[in-house]
Amino acid sequence: MIDHDAADELLAGYVLGSLTGPDAEEADRLLTEHVPDCLTCRSTLDAFRGVTGELGLVADPVSPPETLLPRIERELGGGRRRRFQRGGPARVVAGAAAAVVLMGVVGLSLLNEGGAGPSQLLTKADLAQVNRLKDQPDSQVAPVTSTVADAQEVEPPDHSELYVMGTFEALGPGYTYRLYAVRDGAYTYLGPLGPATGPVAFHVAIDPATVDYLVVTSEPEASPPSQPVSQSTQPAA
Amino acid sequence: MAVQDTADDLELHRRLAAGDRGAFDELYRRYAAQAYGLAYRVTGQQMLAQDVVHDAFMALWRAPEAFDARRGSFRTFFLSMVHHRGVDQVRREQRLRARTEKAANLDPVEDEDPADAVAEAGYLSVRRKEVREALTELPAAQRQVLEMAYFDGKTQVQISEELQIPLGTVKTRTLAAMRKLRSLLEEAP
Repeated sequence: MIDHDAADELLAGYVLGSLTGPDAEEADRLLTEHVPDCLTCRSTLDAFRGVTGELGLVADPVSPPETLLPRIERELGGGRRRRFQRGGPARVVAGAAAAVVLMGVVGLSLLNEGGAGPSQLLTKADLAQVNRLKDQPDSQVAPVTSTVADAQEVEPPDHSELYVMGTFEALGPGYTYRLYAVRDGAYTYLGPLGPATGPVAFHVAIDPATVDYLVVTSEPEASPPSQPVSQSTQPAA
Repeated sequence: MAVQDTADDLELHRRLAAGDRGAFDELYRRYAAQAYGLAYRVTGQQMLAQDVVHDAFMALWRAPEAFDARRGSFRTFFLSMVHHRGVDQVRREQRLRARTEKAANLDPVEDEDPADAVAEAGYLSVRRKEVREALTELPAAQRQVLEMAYFDGKTQVQISEELQIPLGTVKTRTLAAMRKLRSLLEEAP
């Protein structure tokens, strides 16, 4: 029987981003093994997240620099288009079990043995390595947008490879993470992303030059992959 | 007013999801100053704050489906995202260099268009006042640990060391503060 006071303590620290070490690991376990099936904890998690949003109002509003909106507008350009101008030759990832080209995405190769998906879950040591890559000056880091996963794209300085790293919460029973590549507004399903919970990193076996950005969704395992829509596909708490 | 503005946010989000640039511009007009103020408060650096707000708006444009109205308001979703990214930037910066600027030195926002200023004030200022009042109702010790975590991006271990109190006390005070704020903010009209 779980101690909900202890669980709430972890969830409070988690939403504030203030947990480290064993507490962070314990929170990851909680989010993986308990929260998905616990209505009370899911409600608490959403409520605490709401508090962190409301606290943002405490800060005095400050006009952003005049250069910010033009910078954003330049990137918006012709719509939901490329984020990076990637250069350099694409490099096929060593060890690829099969080379598969999906419609609309050139250069995709599968890494997983058996071709189960385009991503490879990395070890904790690799996670630390990707973290270090993130901090290198020439790396490109961008958010991966998702309803349930808090993740980033990481491109090392040579921009030849792509990683996804972040905190992946446990999903409800029967649901799975799915990874999509978006190019010129077209979504292409790359495969399931997982199994993954807590702080993890994936190597995504795709040529970074062929994708504008990545999207992670949660969807019913039994359903066919579909282009992400405007509402979450995660089951309601 | 608050209910209507929440409905407006939902409508703007619906249009945004359909690719409406006008809706994006309106959301930027509504939330850019608040988001930048928060990001600056957390990161303490203009460049980092710009990056945080830039990334948050770009993420919103690229995948509007990340917002789920069943889990809270658009405002809390967006500001929570900004805060999270701000804390992430602080952690990275802590590894790279010491912070040299403080948000306290910033001038308050000044809107060039008085009509815009009124529109934003009507939308956010009421709730801002409620949240600030709720914070003042926290016991000082709880408020201190909450503000160190939220606005300074400090970990619970760092707070424990700085205040020279047991880590367990930091956890207890943090939870008490979050629970009380949750209750107070849910009660607010």
